[in-house]
Order: sequence, then C-alpha cells, then structure tokens
Amino acid sequence: MSNISSTSVLSPSVPSNQGFGLYLVVGCIVAVLGFALPFMGLPKNLLSLLTSASISAILATSVGFLVRQAGLSSFGHAAFFGGAAYAVALLVNYTSLPSEVVILATPLLIMVLSGIISLILLRTNGIAFSMLSLAMAQAIYELVMKWRDLANGEDGLRIRFAREIFGVKLSFFQKADTMFLTTWTALVVMVVIVVLVSRSNFGTLTIAIKNNEERARFLGYRTLWPRIVVLMLSAFIAAVGGTLFSMYNGYVTPSLLHWTLSGEALIIAIIGGTRSVWAPAVGAFVFVILRDVAGNYTTHWQSIVGLVLIAVVLALPNGLGGALTSFANRLGGRKNG
Amino acid sequence: MLIQILNGLVYGGMLYIVAVGLVLIFGLRQVVNFAHGGLYMLGAYIGFAAGLYFGFWGGLVVALVLMALLGVLLDYGVFRPLQDKDHMTTVLVTFGILLVLEDVVHMIWGADTISVAMPELFEGTIQIAGSPFPVYRLLVIAVAIIVVVGLTLWLRFSRAGLYVRASSVDALTTGMQGVDTERLSLSVVGLGTALAGLSGVIASPLMALSPSMGSSVLIESFIVVVIGGLGSFSGAFFAALVIGQVHNLGIVYLPNVSSMLPLLLMVVVLILKPSGFARQH
Repeated sequence: MSNISSTSVLSPSVPSNQGFGLYLVVGCIVAVLGFALPFMGLPKNLLSLLTSASISAILATSVGFLVRQAGLSSFGHAAFFGGAAYAVALLVNYTSLPSEVVILATPLLIMVLSGIISLILLRTNGIAFSMLSLAMAQAIYELVMKWRDLANGEDGLRIRFAREIFGVKLSFFQKADTMFLTTWTALVVMVVIVVLVSRSNFGTLTIAIKNNEERARFLGYRTLWPRIVVLMLSAFIAAVGGTLFSMYNGYVTPSLLHWTLSGEALIIAIIGGTRSVWAPAVGAFVFVILRDVAGNYTTHWQSIVGLVLIAVVLALPNGLGGALTSFANRLGGRKNG
Repeated sequence: MLIQILNGLVYGGMLYIVAVGLVLIFGLRQVVNFAHGGLYMLGAYIGFAAGLYFGFWGGLVVALVLMALLGVLLDYGVFRPLQDKDHMTTVLVTFGILLVLEDVVHMIWGADTISVAMPELFEGTIQIAGSPFPVYRLLVIAVAIIVVVGLTLWLRFSRAGLYVRASSVDALTTGMQGVDTERLSLSVVGLGTALAGLSGVIASPLMALSPSMGSSVLIESFIVVVIGGLGSFSGAFFAALVIGQVHNLGIVYLPNVSSMLPLLLMVVVLILKPSGFARQH
C-alpha cells in the first residue's frame, strides 16, 4: 500500500560511493572536533546541553535508521530508550549485579526483548506498525505509572549506582564536561555502526525489502529476518541512549517512557532527514539547542515543533540533511543526486 | 457484575464513536489520522466552553457543528493536497496538527483539569439489579447505540453509504466508477471529526478535561481499529465492545496491569489473525 509511491520522506536511498570519501573526511573532522569541545572552555550549561543533545542524537539515529532501512516510522521508541533506563535502575537497585555489568548488559537485554516484540510488531507494516508501536510503548508507560510497587510509579526512582564504576568516580558520568566525552564517543560509535550496516550487503538487502518486499522474496531472500535484525539494532541503539541517560541523570521517571518522547525522536529524525545516516543526529543538536533558546522567549515550543514538522515534511522531504547535502553539492558544482 | 458490564459498555461505546471516525477517514483517505485524539479533546473543550453559555446540550450542538466544519477544512486543506504523497507523510502532518492542537488548547484553557457538570436531567441514579447506577452512563450507552444504528443504516441503505463502503475496499476503483470521492470525502471526514467531538463532549462529565486527554483515547482507539481490521466498520464495533469490557474489568480486578490487557488482547488477535476481526476482502 505505502510501498507504491516513490517520492516521499521514506524514499529509497541505495548507498553510492560518489562523494563517500568527502563524507569520511568531514565525519572524522566533526568527530575529532567533538572531543575537543569540553577543553575549549565552553560555559557549563552549554556543555550540559550538548551532552543531552548527544543522547537525543543517539535516540534519533536509531529512529532514523529504522525509517531509512525498513521504512518503518516508530512512534514507540521511548519503550526501548526508557525501558533501558528503567532496566538499569531496577537491576542496579534490586539485584546484586555490579553496576558495570548492568550498564553493559542492558542494551543487549533490550535488544533481545525487542527481537521477541518484533515478531508481533512486524506482522504489520506502514501505518499499522506506527499505531502498534505507539500502543505498545504507551502500555508500558501506563504499567510503570500504575504499578507503584514495580518502580515507584509517577515519582520515579533514584538509581543507587556504586560509588565507582569502570574504575572512575560516579561523578565522571554525571558532570557534563566529562560525561560529554562518553556520550560523544557512544554517538560516534553508533553512527559508524549504522554507516557500516547500511553500506553492507545486508543494508542493501533491507533497502530492497523496504522498497518491494514481494520482489525481494521472489529473488529468494527471506524477508522477515532482515527486518527483525534492523528493528533489533535500532532498539539496541535506542537502549544505549537510555542507558547513558540513566547514568548521566542517576534518576528515572515515567516520562522517559511517554509517547511524547517517542514522537519527539521521530520528529527530530524527520526534521534532520532520514536519507542520510548522520542527519538525524544533526537534527537532534539543532532541535535541543533551539528548544533551549526558544524556551527563553516563548512557552509555545510544542506549536513551533508541530508547525516545523509540517513545514519540513511538506517542503523538505529529505529534511535538513537533504537540504544541506544539495547545498553542499551545489557549492561543489555537482548535480544534486 | 451487571454493573461492571454496563460500565464496560459505556467505555466501549465512547471508544467506538472515536474509532469509527478513524475508520471512516481511513476508508476514504487510506490515512490514519493521528490528530483524532486531539480532535476528541478539542471537541470536549468546545462543548465545555459553549456549554457555559448555552447549557450542556447547546454546547454539544456547537461542538458538533464546529468540529464538522473543522473536519471539512482538514480534508480540504490537508488530506486532499497530500493524497498523492506517501501515506506516512500525511500521518506525520496529522501528528504535527495534534501537537499544535494540544498547545492551542493549553494556551486557551490552561493545563489544569476542568470538570464538567452533568446535564441536570440525567444527574440521578437508578437501581439496576439492586445497585445504584448513574442515569448519565445509560445515556452514554444510548448515544453510542444511536450512532451504531444510524451509521449502520446509513452505510447499508443510502447511496453515499454504499460509496463509502466501496471506497474503503478500494478507493481508486470506486473513483474510476464515477464516484466523486473528493466531494464524498469532505463530508465523511467532517462526519468523522464530528463524531470525535461528540465522543469528547459526552465523555467530559465522566472524566476531567485536560489537554492530554486525547492521547489515551487515541491509543485505545488505535488498538480497536487494529483489532477490528484497518478500515472495517463492523470489526471496529466488535473490537470496541471487547476492549470496553477488557478495559473496565481490568481496572476493577487487575489494576496494576490493566493498561497491558487491551494490548495483550491485540497481540493475541494479531498472532491468530493478522488482518484483525474483519473478513478479508
């Protein structure tokens, strides 16, 4: 049904080698510049903003990856993000597992769970998938809200981490200037993973399935497994974001599971653009910083977001990233591909 | 027990009215309207605000008229220009509209919850099987029944209803047969949003108004629509009845996990029958 049209937000994008070297150079420069940021004497609140933005960027990357590789717009990624944060909180507080083990194992745990859930979620496609993912995530939110004995309901939980994790003081992970190094590293690693996956044969196969599942089946491919793997990887990335969030804040509340968070992540990914791997992350930095600036002037951020979303969807179907790419291409005198 | 079943009917009835609006719009436009929860919420607020001047029933009429107009605008200004684009584009635009609607309501009426008085005529309770039951809840059931019967008759026996049913099976072919789906869609989307408003207004004495009241209804009506089979009217009816009961019994007997029950039911249905309750075309 929704696979027929070709020009859209979800339009096909098979990796091409044209200009990849340039991307590689720019990417490396941006990654290295990021590591330099905490040492440039930036004001503290800007650094903490950048830390939050890089966590949002990880979540947006995961949502954008799912749109790009599978054509699925998830309205339920808060379940993976907040689910990971809650898993960290519950496992640290109620089991004797060392905090390090919990932190490293949680994204994997969420990934495995998402694999099970995907068997149900992926029975649907297109719009039905969006509705189902929203319903699933919101049910988990309600569960956490109502079942007070499970995770203290609305008030949330303080996570009782060990005083030292990974051989450094806990405060290393809870202060912006040092935590930014961790979140930035994670973001870079996640983007690299996504680039590698989407440029691999497997990535091409998933694009083929996205564009025409039936045809991919005729070619002899099993089409369910690749979709499950894409969803699991997307959930893993979101869970890495959630785990980092729980370390940074040391506190979890049900708002981490609420559908507004899922919606925000999807909006960021769409505004950033889902044709390129890096665009949702760029979208996240733009979004978080603009929200902070706008917060000083207006309380109607939500309307602004809604209107910007509508404008981007209608006027820039490839998002900011697409606009940026075609602008760069025009500067370079290359034809917009 | 009978009381519990009646309460489930009240909730199921409201859910049906919201969900059938989604189904109507889906039938003509093949798009799930994410703003529908926002329209339900907006209808409730308009009914409340107009009710301050014209009484509950006057408020209801004002809300229905305004919501129907809004629906026509929505179809004309959003669904029609976007019909050639990917369906997901339209979904995202309606999601943007939802955000704006919530913020606008928040701006006008504030974030605090508002409680709405019941219409005086229906304030009392009556004895049913030895326990008191609010008359107003019976009224809600009655309204739902009227909508079910009215809609069914309209869909079965009127020419427009025939077109709507045909279009929900295959919109393109219906258009090729000479049905003006554009004009039809204006009134059907108008009807769908008016129904969302109706549900919002009659629900408002039972639950407090807040800008976020739409999202929980939206999610449960999504579950109804998915269980019923996307685009199926009778499927949505049965699914709403079942979800109404499950929702209510869950709150009474399993409060901790009540929110999971409709979802689990949906999971079971999707595993057994991925196309939902509806017969396959």
